[in-house]
Amino acid sequence: MLKILGKSSSINVRKVLWLCEELGLPYEQEQYGSGFQATDTPEFMALNPNAMVPVLIDDDFVLWESNTICRYLAGREQRFDLLPGAPRGRALVEKWMDWQATELNNSWRYAFMALVRRSPAHADPEAIEAGVAGWNRHMAMVEAQLSRTGAYIAGASFTLADIVIGLSTHRWYMTPMPRPALPAVAAYYERLSERPGYRLHGRNGTP
Amino acid sequence: MLKIWGRLNSLNVKKVVWCAAELGLPFERIDAGGPFGGLDTPEFLARNPNGTIPLIDDDGFTLWESNAIVRYLAAKYGHGSLYPDDLQQRADADRWMDWQATVFNPALVPAIYNLLRVPPEQRSQDAIDTARVKVDRLASLLEQHLTGRTWLTGKCFTMADIVLGCSVHLWLNLPLERTSRPELERWYAALRARPASTEALQLPLS
Ligand SMILES: N[C@@H](CCC(=O)N[C@@H](CS)C(=O)NCC(=O)O)C(=O)O
Ligand SMILES: N[C@@H](CCC(=O)N[C@@H](CS)C(=O)NCC(=O)O)C(=O)O
Repeated sequence: MLKILGKSSSINVRKVLWLCEELGLPYEQEQYGSGFQATDTPEFMALNPNAMVPVLIDDDFVLWESNTICRYLAGREQRFDLLPGAPRGRALVEKWMDWQATELNNSWRYAFMALVRRSPAHADPEAIEAGVAGWNRHMAMVEAQLSRTGAYIAGASFTLADIVIGLSTHRWYMTPMPRPALPAVAAYYERLSERPGYRLHGRNGTP
Repeated sequence: MLKIWGRLNSLNVKKVVWCAAELGLPFERIDAGGPFGGLDTPEFLARNPNGTIPLIDDDGFTLWESNAIVRYLAAKYGHGSLYPDDLQQRADADRWMDWQATVFNPALVPAIYNLLRVPPEQRSQDAIDTARVKVDRLASLLEQHLTGRTWLTGKCFTMADIVLGCSVHLWLNLPLERTSRPELERWYAALRARPASTEALQLPLS
């Protein structure tokens, strides 16, 4: 059986948990990460030298980096609806996955650490304000894209890109800060909430 | 013909230029970004709402996000070589690309910015020092990983070597103190020896 190492509250672990729900894949989970079992032990670092979660164990194959784990599982289950096999279709999904991991994630980190985690290292009011503005600007790009597709981030149907953007969207709504009204994002949030996996691991009360 | 927008001293543009050369694809590169500007025009933003480089047009297909572009070109023109066929081998390459984008690059960027992009009097020595310590630790992880492996994923050169190779090219040539890493340097020398890397891995850095 698949094994997932990582705590259920981590956004990167939640990608994998939600995807397993979509795929109907059974798995065992062990809670690792700050507040749970330590990741900076020799045993854990032999699996992932970065000492980060999630880690996937599929028999003797060990994989880390959440987006890559998602790609791998979708491919393993031959779910080309979630990640197309043809280069163009696949690229349209992967560009949003990469964008979430690089641009969108970087835009919210400071504000989220300050406003939700209340981290003392993230207490500069100017940086918080800039963070909120940057985050809202990136979500406006999601709004524009969703207005074009009318449904999901990469087009008319649900893909892996919606797993990563959907989790970020939930964080955006759960963070106490000023937000512009983004009607297409609001409709998207409701659309995703029809999915059991999202209610379980995404929109589940945890920011 | 494949069109690539972006100035060649951008790390993310280097990935795409090298990948295209590695695949033997003829391409036209259009300077954009930095001193060339051109990223905030309505035409550019219609193609890439982020206003960033690289951006490509492959026979009418527009794509942005450097790693997505590399994956796309490799899958379309290098299936079974740059883009491994086997799912686990492909995941292995994908993982190092994600690691470059989410771990290595964010650690390195403040050093690039402060040492290459701003005038000396505006440099933040703090930011440079923090980056140096962080990246040196990541280089040690790579040093261990490359021990016993010719390329990142083992015996075969893949798209992952291109992507991480571009970051390591900057790291190893910035005017910074570094711990000696023989395996990393051996791998980097092998990357430089590939004719397709010449344009992307130019020196001196700018
Ligand atoms: N790029 C990595 C990032 C992983 C990451 O940052 N994980 C965090 C949790 S979201 C972590 O492991 N933090 C250390 C800890 O919780 O102990 C991925 O997407 O898998
Ligand atoms: N995650 C994006 C990042 C793109 C990006 O930030 N590009 C930089 C150059 S490396 C840029 O466009 N800077 C503005 C400029 O060059 O004027 C990617 O990998 O393509």
